[in-house]
Parts: sequence; C-alpha cells; structure tokens
Amino acid sequence: MYTILYIGNIRIIHVNMSYKNFKIARILIAFFLAMTVSIAVSMENVLLAVSAVGIGMITMLLIKKNVKAVMVDEMVKSIAGKSALMAYSIVVPVLAIFSLVFMFSSLSNRDSYFYNLGMIFSYIVLFNMAVYSISYYYYRKKYGSDEE
Amino acid sequence: MAQMKNNIKVLRAEKGITQEELAEKVDVTRQTIIAIEKNKYIPSLELAYKISLFFNKKIEEIFKYF
Repeated sequence: MYTILYIGNIRIIHVNMSYKNFKIARILIAFFLAMTVSIAVSMENVLLAVSAVGIGMITMLLIKKNVKAVMVDEMVKSIAGKSALMAYSIVVPVLAIFSLVFMFSSLSNRDSYFYNLGMIFSYIVLFNMAVYSISYYYYRKKYGSDEE
Repeated sequence: MAQMKNNIKVLRAEKGITQEELAEKVDVTRQTIIAIEKNKYIPSLELAYKISLFFNKKIEEIFKYF
C-alpha cells in the first residue's frame, strides 16, 4: 500500500509500511550497518563508519515515520521502564564494586592500568547516578508533588 | 492477593473481531491485547476506557477486581 504525494512538481511516494515489513527493513539496515562498520574498521576509516551509522539512523527514522501500525504502546513503555530500572540496579552496583576493587588493589601504583580503569568506572557510576537522580527529580515534580 | 480479571475475550468473540482488530481500534499492539486477555497486564485507566467505549459497556462490566 502506498500513496503518492505531490509538493509542487515533486512527486513523493509515501509507503504505508506494515509492522512485518518494518521488521524486515530493520534487519536489512542492521545488516548494512554491520557490513559497512566492519569494512570501515578493517580499513581504519572513521569517516566511513560515522557516515554508515548516520545513514542508518536517518533511514531508520524515515522508515519509522511510514509505519502504519502501532509499535509503542503503554505496555511496551512499562516493560521498557522496568527493564531500565533493572539494568540500572544491576550495572551501577557491579561497576561500583569493580571500581573499588581496582582502585584499592592498586593504591601503591596510581599510574597503573587498573587504577585508571577503576577511576573510569567510578566516574561512569557517578554519571549514571546523576542522570538517574535528575530524571527521577524531574518526573517526581511532573507527576507527584505534595501540593493539592 | 487481590487481582483483576476481565471478559474481553468473550466480548470480542460476541462481536466477532480478532485481537488485531481490537488492538487497532484502541491504538495498542496485539501483544498488549493478548496480555490483558490473559490477565498478565493491567491496562491503564485510559486504555480501559477506550476498551469499554469500544464495547459500549461500563468499565466495571468488563474489568472485575477481586
């Protein structure tokens, strides 16, 4: 199913894509990205990799706009929210423990690889906690204040 | 433990429509309708209203809280 739109003399074919076709298109884009990025890595060409990712993202956005079926609804959002909370609850403590272990095990040599890795991990943990706190504060303000 | 039950499957059969058609009418995915029918997912108030409007029934006639 498709409709033809005219803007002046320019003809634009607007494809009303079904969810099944969208899934096929998504696989094709992922395949294109995997191929191009692996070629770019083997050629050590950063520009090619960045362009491929950019083209992939733009194509994905255009395709998503043309999908007729509902793809994201309240249950999908609810599942995504629960998954995000679980990922946060697992990743942050694990990274925090690793960062402490790495840093305390190499306190005598602060230029060591493990000490720096521990530092990076601790900054990632802090950044994650900051983002979580800001977004939590924002949504609490939006949905649940004490004011009546 | 309290739980929600619904008779969407029966109402849908009476009306002779598929899960996909109902999903399309209330702007959700078919998976959501399946989960609601199996009482695995409790819909939001908005979705419950949409479903009750579609079947032309009151919410409490469709959803039961035990």
